[in-house]
This record gives sequence, C-alpha cells and structure tokens, in this order.
Amino acid sequence: MHIVVCVKMVPDTTQVSIDPVTNTLIRDGVPFITNPYDTNAVEEAIRFKDKYGAFVTAVSMGPPNAESVLRKAVSIGTDRAILLSDRAFGGADTLATSTVLGLAIKKLNEEQPVDIVLCGKQTIDGDTAQVGPGIARRMNITQLTLVDEVVSVNTEKKTIRIRRKLENYHEIIEVKLPVMMTVEREINTPRYPTVPGRLHADDVRVEIWSNAQLKLDPATIGLPGSPTQVRRIFAPEREKGEIMMGEGPDRTKAVEACFAKLLDRDIVHV
Amino acid sequence: MERLIFLIVCLGAFAFFFKNIFRLVATICLGRAENRFDNLWSRCAGMFAYGFGQLRVIQKKFGYNHYLLFWGFMTLVLVNFEFLLKGIFPAFSLAFMGPLYYILMFAADIMSLVVLGCVVLAIARRLFFRPYFIDQTADAFLILCLVGSLMIAFFGMSACEYRLDELAAGTYMLVTRGVALFLRGSDTESLHASMRVFWWIHAIVLLFFMNYLPYSKHLHVLTAIPNCFFRSKHMVATVPRLQFKKGEEFGISKVVQFRWKDLLDFMSCTECGRCQEVCPASNTQKTLNPKKMVHQGKVNLFTNSKSVFANRPADMLAPAPKDAAMNVPLINGSDKSVSKKAIWDCTTCGACMQVCPVFIEHAPKIVQMRQHLVMEKAEFPEELIALFENSEQRSNPWGIAPSDRAKWAADLNVPLVTQGVQAEYLFYVGCAGAFDSRARQVTTALTKILNAAGVSWGILGNEEKCCGDSMRRLGNEYVFDKMAQANIEQLKKYGIKKIITYCPHCYTTLKNDYKQFGADFEVIHHSELISSLIAAGKINPSSDSAGRVVIHDSCYLGRYNNLYDQPRDVIKACSGGRAPAEMERCREKSFCCGAGGGRMWMEELDGKRIYLERTQEALRAAPDTIAVACPYCLTMYEDGVKDEKAADRVKVKDIAEIVASSIS
Amino acid sequence: MEQKPKKIKKPRGKARLIEGKCIACGARCQMSCPVDAIEMNAKEEPVVDTAKCIGCTKCVKACPADALEMFFTPEEQALLKELESQGAAAEPDEPEAESKQPAGGSESNIALWKGVWVFIEQFEGHAHDVSWELLGKGRVLADDLGVELAAFVLGDNVRHLAQEAFGYGADKAYSMESPVLKHYRTESYLRGTVELVNKYKPEILLMGATGLGRDLAGAVATDLKTGLTADCTQLDIDKKMRILEQTRPAFGGNIMATILTETRRPQMASVRPHVMPKPLFQQGRTGVLIEEPFALQEDDIAAKIIEIIKSSEGKSVNINAAKILVSGGRGMLSKENFAKLQELADLIGGVVSGSRCAFDEGWIEHARQVGQTGKTVHPKLYIACAISGAIQHLVGMQDSEYIIAINKDKNAPIFEVAHLGIVGDVFEIIPDLIEKIKQSGAKIVE
Repeated sequence: MHIVVCVKMVPDTTQVSIDPVTNTLIRDGVPFITNPYDTNAVEEAIRFKDKYGAFVTAVSMGPPNAESVLRKAVSIGTDRAILLSDRAFGGADTLATSTVLGLAIKKLNEEQPVDIVLCGKQTIDGDTAQVGPGIARRMNITQLTLVDEVVSVNTEKKTIRIRRKLENYHEIIEVKLPVMMTVEREINTPRYPTVPGRLHADDVRVEIWSNAQLKLDPATIGLPGSPTQVRRIFAPEREKGEIMMGEGPDRTKAVEACFAKLLDRDIVHV
Repeated sequence: MERLIFLIVCLGAFAFFFKNIFRLVATICLGRAENRFDNLWSRCAGMFAYGFGQLRVIQKKFGYNHYLLFWGFMTLVLVNFEFLLKGIFPAFSLAFMGPLYYILMFAADIMSLVVLGCVVLAIARRLFFRPYFIDQTADAFLILCLVGSLMIAFFGMSACEYRLDELAAGTYMLVTRGVALFLRGSDTESLHASMRVFWWIHAIVLLFFMNYLPYSKHLHVLTAIPNCFFRSKHMVATVPRLQFKKGEEFGISKVVQFRWKDLLDFMSCTECGRCQEVCPASNTQKTLNPKKMVHQGKVNLFTNSKSVFANRPADMLAPAPKDAAMNVPLINGSDKSVSKKAIWDCTTCGACMQVCPVFIEHAPKIVQMRQHLVMEKAEFPEELIALFENSEQRSNPWGIAPSDRAKWAADLNVPLVTQGVQAEYLFYVGCAGAFDSRARQVTTALTKILNAAGVSWGILGNEEKCCGDSMRRLGNEYVFDKMAQANIEQLKKYGIKKIITYCPHCYTTLKNDYKQFGADFEVIHHSELISSLIAAGKINPSSDSAGRVVIHDSCYLGRYNNLYDQPRDVIKACSGGRAPAEMERCREKSFCCGAGGGRMWMEELDGKRIYLERTQEALRAAPDTIAVACPYCLTMYEDGVKDEKAADRVKVKDIAEIVASSIS
Repeated sequence: MEQKPKKIKKPRGKARLIEGKCIACGARCQMSCPVDAIEMNAKEEPVVDTAKCIGCTKCVKACPADALEMFFTPEEQALLKELESQGAAAEPDEPEAESKQPAGGSESNIALWKGVWVFIEQFEGHAHDVSWELLGKGRVLADDLGVELAAFVLGDNVRHLAQEAFGYGADKAYSMESPVLKHYRTESYLRGTVELVNKYKPEILLMGATGLGRDLAGAVATDLKTGLTADCTQLDIDKKMRILEQTRPAFGGNIMATILTETRRPQMASVRPHVMPKPLFQQGRTGVLIEEPFALQEDDIAAKIIEIIKSSEGKSVNINAAKILVSGGRGMLSKENFAKLQELADLIGGVVSGSRCAFDEGWIEHARQVGQTGKTVHPKLYIACAISGAIQHLVGMQDSEYIIAINKDKNAPIFEVAHLGIVGDVFEIIPDLIEKIKQSGAKIVE
C-alpha cells in the first residue's frame, strides 16, 4: 500500500493580529507551522502504515523552508518526503496548486502505485478546502472529503469503507482504491514525535522537485496559471467587546441585548 | 573440637558475607558513571554529621530510638570483634588496651541494655502504635528479634562468665553483675554449660545476622553511611544534561541506566516511610509513594542484576552493557516495577529528599523515567500534548501569541533592553507574569516597587521566551534543551548579567538548570531583591494593609534554593515588624501547592486535591491574607480559597502585591 | 549654435517593502519581477535587490496588500522636481502595456458566457436554505448584469424544487433527474454539473459552502479549469468590467480579500449558510423549467453509499464539534443549577459545558470540561455563565466566534475576551433569557 499525504506550511494565523492604529497585519514573530488539519492527515497515513505496513510519502508545495513541515511528518513515521519548490510555482491559487500537486503525485504513482492520497480538510490560512478535490480531479480518482472515520479496509479487494461528516448527518461510503480523502480533525489525535524520530528526521534527505522535473507549462502554474486574483485586501470590521450592567433596572435591557445577539448570530429565529 | 567447628562456621560465614558484599558492589557498578568523589572534605563532614551523627534521623522524636540503637551497635562492634577472635584464639583479648578496655566493656554492657530497651520499644511501636507510613513486615520483626536475642545472649553469657570469674572487666559491667545476681547458687558446671549455650547462641545469631543483612531492608546498615558520604551537595532538582545523538536512548527504562549513586540509593532505603509521610501525592491518596518507588527500584535492580551477571561474570566491576536484557521492566509491568501513574503523580516538590535520613534522591529518578516515556515512547497524559506543543511553537504553556507577551507593559512605559536600553537588572517576567491576568497584577506591583526604589531595570518584551521549567520536570528534555540554549544565547546577546525573576520556577531554571548549559547569570528572586531594598532603605513600606498574614514557602524557592527568610522579612516590614503566621508545615517541611513538576498542566483525578489539602491547612491559621511568592501557588490557593468558600474573608497575595500596596 | 538642453532621463526609482504591510501572499511580487530582483526571506516577505531593480513597478501592481512602493533617493527626488517644473513629467516615459497572460480555454470567448446560476442543494428532496439565500443574492447580481438568474438542481424527483426556486427569484431552472442522483456523490453530481455548465455557459456559478457544496465546487472548478472563491461573505458586480467581486475572509479571519476571476468562466463562488439573507418567497412566481437527461448508470459510479446516519444519539458528547456551548463555572454553585443551563442549551440548540471547577465539583463530566486540561473549543457562540475566566479556561475557548459572558464581578478576566459582557447575576439573567426566548416563540436555526 502506498499513501501520499499532502502537507502545507502555513503562518500560524491565530497569532496574526491587526494593529488597531494602522489597521495593518502584525506578522512579527508569527512562526510558520504545519497546517493543523494536515497533522491529522499525516497521523492517519501513519496509522495505515502501522496497521497495513503502508509506505508513506509526504508531499508539500512551498518555498524552500517548507522543508521543516516535511521533516515533522518524517519525525512521526513518514518514509519519504518531497518538496515541490520552484519560483514558477509561486503565487498559485488553489487551481494552480492542485495542478502541480496532482502531477507530482501522478509521477509518484508511476514509481509505485498510489492507493490513497490524504489531505487535511482545509488550511488555516486559506480555508478553501479546494486543493484536495482539485488533486482528485487532476488524478481522476474518487474523492472523499470530510472523512471522520476509516471504518474498514479490505486489502484483498482493495476497497475502503469510510464515514463522512456532513452538517446534519453522517455517510458511510465504500469505494475501490485509489482514492483521495480529506480528513476532519476528529478522525484522530496526532501523535507526539519521539526524540529518535526527530533525530532521524533531521538527517533525512528531503527531495526537492522543481519544474525542471515536472515540466509543466508555465502558463498553467504559479501566478499565470491562477484564474483568481486578489484585487484588494482590507481589515475586517471588528465587533468591539461591549460590557453592560445587568443588575436591577438594567436587567431587562441586558436580557434584550443577549436575545438580540442570538437572533443576530443566527442561533435562533422568530 | 568446639573451636574447630567454630572456626569453620566463622570462616564460612565471612566468606559468604564478603561474597555478598562483593556482589553488592558489582551491582552498584552496573550503573552509569558519575563523579561523586569531589569535595572529599565536605563529604566526610557530611558523613560524620548525617551518618554517624544521625542528624536527620533525630529530626523525628522516635529517631532517638534509632540513634541509641546505632550507637549501641557501634560500641558493640569492637566487643563482638573480640568475641569472634576469642572464639578461635581463646588467648586473644582486648585487655591490652588498658583502662580503655574497662571503659569499653562498661559502655558495651550499658549499651546492650539500652539496645535491648530500644528493641522492645521498636517492637511495641510496630505492634501497638505503628505510624501509617511504616509497613508491617516480618523482616522488621525478625531483625528486631535477632538483635534482641543477641543482647540477651550477651548478658547470659557474660553473667555466667562473671559468676565463673572469667570476666576480665566484670567489675565494671554493672548490668551483667545485676543479671548475675539471679545466678547465685548455681554450680560451676551448670554455669559453664549455660555459658557455652549462650556463647553459641550469641555466635550463631551474630553470624546469621551479618549474613542476613544483605537480604533485608537492613542492608542500610552497610550502605547508609556511604550514601551519606556520596550525597549531593545541594538539593537536587536537576537531571543530568543529555547529548542528543542518533542511536542513543533517552531517559531511563532499565534500572541499570541509572547512575551508580542511584543504585546505591535504592540499597540504602530503610523503609522508614518519612518520605511517604511528607509526600503530597501519598498524602492525597495518589498512586505515588516515594518509599514504594525506591523499594521497587531495589527489587527491580536485584532481579535484573542476576540476569546481567548470568551473561557476564559478576566479578567485573563495570557498567552494564547498553543492550543488557532486563527480565522485569522498570516502568509498569509487575510489582517490581514503578507504575506509570506514580511517575506522573510527582510534583517534584522535594519534600521526600528533604527528610530522607540517608539522602536518597527521588525526584531526579522520577524525572528521568518521565524522560523515557516522553522522548522514547511519546506516552504521557493526553492533556500535556497542548503544553508541549505550545511551549515549543509559541514558547508559553498556554499557546498565546508571543506578540501579546509585553501587553501588560503597554501603558507602563517599561524600558526594553532589546531596544538598547542599558539597565542593571533584567526583569525576566515569565509566562505567568506576562499572560495570566491574575499574575499580571503581581508583575505590575513589582514594576511599581522597582520604580519606587529607583532600580535600573528593563525587560525583553515580546522577545522573552519561556524558561522551560515544566518541560524539564515533565521529562521533555529535548525541547527544554533547545529552549535553554536559545534563551542563554539571547540573554548573552543583550549582555544580561543580573536577572530578577518573580516565578521561583524561572528562578531555579535560570539559576541552577541553565548552569549545565554554560550560563552564569546572577539570578535574584523578587523576595531577595525586595528584602534587600527594604534593608537598604530604598523603599519604606508603611505598615499593615494585609492584616494577619500566613506565609507559604514554595518548593522551588525554599527547599531547592534556601530562600526562607527573605519573604518573611518582606512581610515583616509590611506588618510593622510582626512576623507572619506559620502553617503547621512550614519552611523545609512546607507542603506543595500541587502545581510543581508540571502538575500545573495536568488533571488531578485521584484522591484529594493537593491544593485543597494545603489551603485548608493555611485557613487553619486564621489568616486575612495568604502570602505566596510564586504564580503557581497563587493560582492554586486562589482556587482553594474559592473552593473553601473563604474568598470573601481571605485574600491570596504575592509578597510584591503586599509591598506595593503599602508604599505610596 | 544654440545648445539643446540635455535630455534628463526620468528616474524610475526602486521598489521597496513597506514595513508591516506584507501578508505573505505567496510571492506574487517575486513572480512578477522580470529581472529576478526579488528574493523571499524566511518570513516570506520580499527582499528587493536594488542593484537589479529596474523600477518597472510590476511588483507594486502585483501586490495585493499595497505593501510595495517606489522609492526615490533625495537626488532622484530633486531630479523629479526639476522635471516636473519643466513639465516633462506630463509625458509618460514608457507606456506600460497592461500585460495579462493569455490563458487558454474559455478565456477567448468570455462574452459567450451569460447568466447567473445557483446550485440548489437538496437532501432527500428538501432544499438547503443556503440555496434560497443564494438565489436572493443571485437576483441582485443578475439584475446588475442585466442577465437571467437560473437555478439548477440534481436529484431524484426534485422537479418541485425547480418550481420553488422560481418563488425565490429564479427566472429559469435546470433540472437533472435520475435514481443515480438520489443521494449526493461527487462523481455523479460533478458529471451532471459540468455537462450543464458546458452546455449553457453561465458566467457566474454560486454554491453553498456546506460540506456538500464545498465537495462539489472544488471538483467542478478543477474540471472546468476556472477560478473558485470559497466562503465568500460578500458578492458584488463591478459593472464597468462586468465582473464578480468576491470578498472573503483570509488568514483566519484577520483580513478580508476581494478576489476576481478575470480570465475564465464561469466565475465560481461559494457562500456559507446564513451569511446572505433569505429572500421572501413569492407565491405564484414562475419561470422556465428545462429538464436535462442524465446518462450515467449506477454501475458507472464507483462510490457506494452504505448507510446514512442521521441521529447522533447514543454517541458520547463531543463539545469540540458543538456549534453552541452554554458553559458554567464556579459561580453556578450546584449541580441543580446546571439544569437551568441545560434548559437554555436545549432552547438554542446548544450543548452544556463547564470550567475545571464545574468538573471538580462533579457538576459536569470530564468530557464537557473546557480549558487547558480539558477541551479546546471554537463554537459559533459561547455563553460563559459565572465563569471568572482564569487563563486555563480562556485558552480553551477564546477562539470562539462570539462570546457572551455573564458574571457578577465586573473585573472578571472573562470580560476581556467577551464580545458581549453582562455584569449581573446568572440566576436572574439566564431564567429571564429563557423566558424571553420562550415568549418570542423563537426557533432554533438548523
């Protein structure tokens, strides 16, 4: 069994804040981390390795320092790490990103047939949830998004049965491999790397693939291959915290305000 | 004929004894290397004070019983030496010592009675008023009976001899003479026969006793004094620094991975239970019992050393090979293993190490077992994963954005040493002081004091990082190692020489742990600084805002760093010269708040909450204010006071807050 | 002979970064630089090599955050001033050709793509509200463009939804029906959607950003090789360019970005439920229904649905997944008082949780504990009742979308993170709120 897991290096957006005076993004000291959703994808891949002896390849597209997120994946058990890094890949939107990732995984598939491609449900910086499906379409394999449980795997028949989490219900679906799955955070708890694992990861060679290897038409990747463009960026209006008195005569007003918020936030409707 | 038999028995017994001793030495040598041969003079001094002087033993009243037993034994060692030699060479006698001999025999006679009395008392204590921390073991009774019979045999024997007029120092042996009174009228023959019977009983019991020692908890008779000699000079809160090289094993999962002194520790335990009596975990019905942990270490060592020796001649005094197979795992698996639960129960408060009469070092052993669980197995209570990742990624335990670290100082105009401000002191705020809204009040209080006293100080602002205390105590040495190195590099970069901390955990980490990483800062706890500012008249607290104050000694300030008087001086100065009230357990005996050793970040599911136990104790002192000098203690007491529904009448305050509110 | 004044070359300046404005968009500036003068540093911010920079301003234009500017040395500024006084600045130095990469596919015939389409998401024949909300927005967009608004629906026996779509403002409705389409599966819905889009060529395609919608939208956009903007909170038409302006939060909601799909069609966007208002249903409004056949058979679809589980009963509580949490702390005083919180939670579709103290006291089980040693939650709404907000609690809930805190102590740290803080007695406020909800007859929004 060969599993490819996609990981992305993202800025830790929970540490990003807006300067209230200049209204600009404060990114000072904001570190880059593995997209949290991807850590669940890596964990799930390693569970396939533990259970079925799968070979796990981690793939990332990003700048050279994205190597660090691949090393993290290696530290908990990933066998091979590939970084797709090229100036030509820069500025890509989700479509151009999935073009590059899709082709890279196709190349891996030629070396050793890929049974499962695993991605996080979405990234914390983009929140689009589009790259997973994009990869599936590029590779022309079945896509299963929002998987929150792998029910069973039949290694002989090469089928997998999983559960998908949708808003008000769950689906149990069975498909033949190969398949692309994006996973929910609830699917597992990522393991903590052991020190021998980390030391091993420090020494592992991360393969760098540039467009010289992938040979993609420059017009289909990076900025030129991205159909969406950012026109402008601005700070959102922020709801300021409001403190009100809720005692004595103010009580009714406070309760009214509270109820108004329930309506505002679409919790209840009348 | 009788002499020949005795000679054979005696030789056999000594051969067996020395074989066992050699094996014990070989077992100790299985441990890893460590230099404990430095400072020989102070080691000798300690050995005399704590080994022969029994200073820690007599800290408890019943310790005097042991003290007398011990000295009785010391006296009798010489007498018994004469006894054994005389058995083989009847002409031998210590009488050549002249008057000294008579003094010796006089003392031995008296001491034998004293020992007999002590034995009776000890048996009675175990039978009728046994403290909960002492286990009822057959071993203990057997030993006591052996000692008792040895004494009875001695009196029997010497009384007969006295009657037979064969006792050289008989005149001076008052007790013997007293016993001899009962033998008046016995004829020579029966006296002689009885003497031989007593003599043989004495000889057999003596030789048996000697050989039984290595198999019982009374092994400490042989190991305790060396253990006092090899004790650590300071209270040990730290673990050895590790080298993170590929192929190494990190932490301890096999008993032979301990250092040799740790193995000697295991052998030195008397199971006196004093550690159990003071342990916050044991006191609140947790799994951890330090006494049991040491005992488990000992039986684990003896079981596993057998298989190591089986694969290797025992007469080789060398560490166990790296790949030595163990029959019984050290962690979890049998009653000869330490349970994982126990390992995570420890608050590393050091109370056990403080009371141990023979200087066993419990906490570093536990931390090193944690190291194995964390670094090799990634097995730890699940709530710690957030702490580990937050500490590594955001350099604070809560995972708050590092850019918020200096928020507390936003309106306070605090100088930043990172912006080139020259300051004498760096105030290392610490994570709690920077992020926790309650602890931030302490930070601002200290800011006020520093400014009022005209101290030249600054902070690192958002560049400050977590010191890594919790990571180290929880066994995440790899991440701690990185944090320590980065911190030291940064502090050196800004040319920091003197550091003020408010958190005792930062204090001990920067001061003691970082030494292993080449740091040499002058680290000052705010209690030290404030007390010296008051002494120098730089600040003049006007008295009384806190009412009746009861003080809590935090473990890492008191036990580990000996700062007991400074916080008291500070409170005294703020309460018109009145010393703060003390709890039942105070100073060296202070009871942990429950948050040390990384327990702050863990769920406490078993037994009574440690902080409640301690808060109730504090409330018994009827205070208006509970004074602390640690952000963890602050959190725990605040919870405790609320739980006890005492928040309306009792305030929990850091000493800096008490000072700040009493200066204008 | 009169000497001609020396022609002064107009200084073009060098690009430079404005501190603090870069958002690390992914090296758009670097991509746009024709002379490789920009390198990205570890923070993913550009470093301009002034020796190489030719002052072409391409990067300045490429930057979505206006984080790059042109910089002139004092000498250059002096020169510029001189030129200005000579009036030379009036003539452009070099007309900068607006370079747009010619992209393949649908670009050349953008004009052929017309109309606004909305995907009607349905489950067992019931439409998701977000579809109607999108029709409301779609109506505005279509009117701005002067084109038709169409709904399209896939499923088995779903024609009635097409009819319903007219009531919500659609001019046209396309329906594709087949037993194969009864339940959503990516493969079948993707094939159907792509077929319809390729045949009728709408210029805008909107879907709900639900689990289903996001699954389908990503696949469709990839197959159509077009742009897709997820989770939009605002949609407008730039009438001059006849283009859809899609505004969405990025960077974990810290910034808003307006995104365009200029060169490809359709312009696809997804919108989260309850972001757009639902239009009023107009009884009797009709439109044109176009039915399209669906060719695929069951055997052509790889994925098989084994089971659909609708109820979450019997499952242990999972406060991580809860959208609304009603949380109680020390001030709740007793287990009995938690019943009031449960009553409120039931009324608003929430789950009860609590602080460590609430667990300690045995008022809630450990699975419901929020905080450092409990769960970290990010619900839509977090109501903190009598929780003071010690740091151990705050780290577990401060990323909630909206926080209402009720506490007697006006200095409680919980108010530092609360969006709406009420200083008062929970035992008065909560019952009053329950009463208020009951009186108003408010229903939970599904």
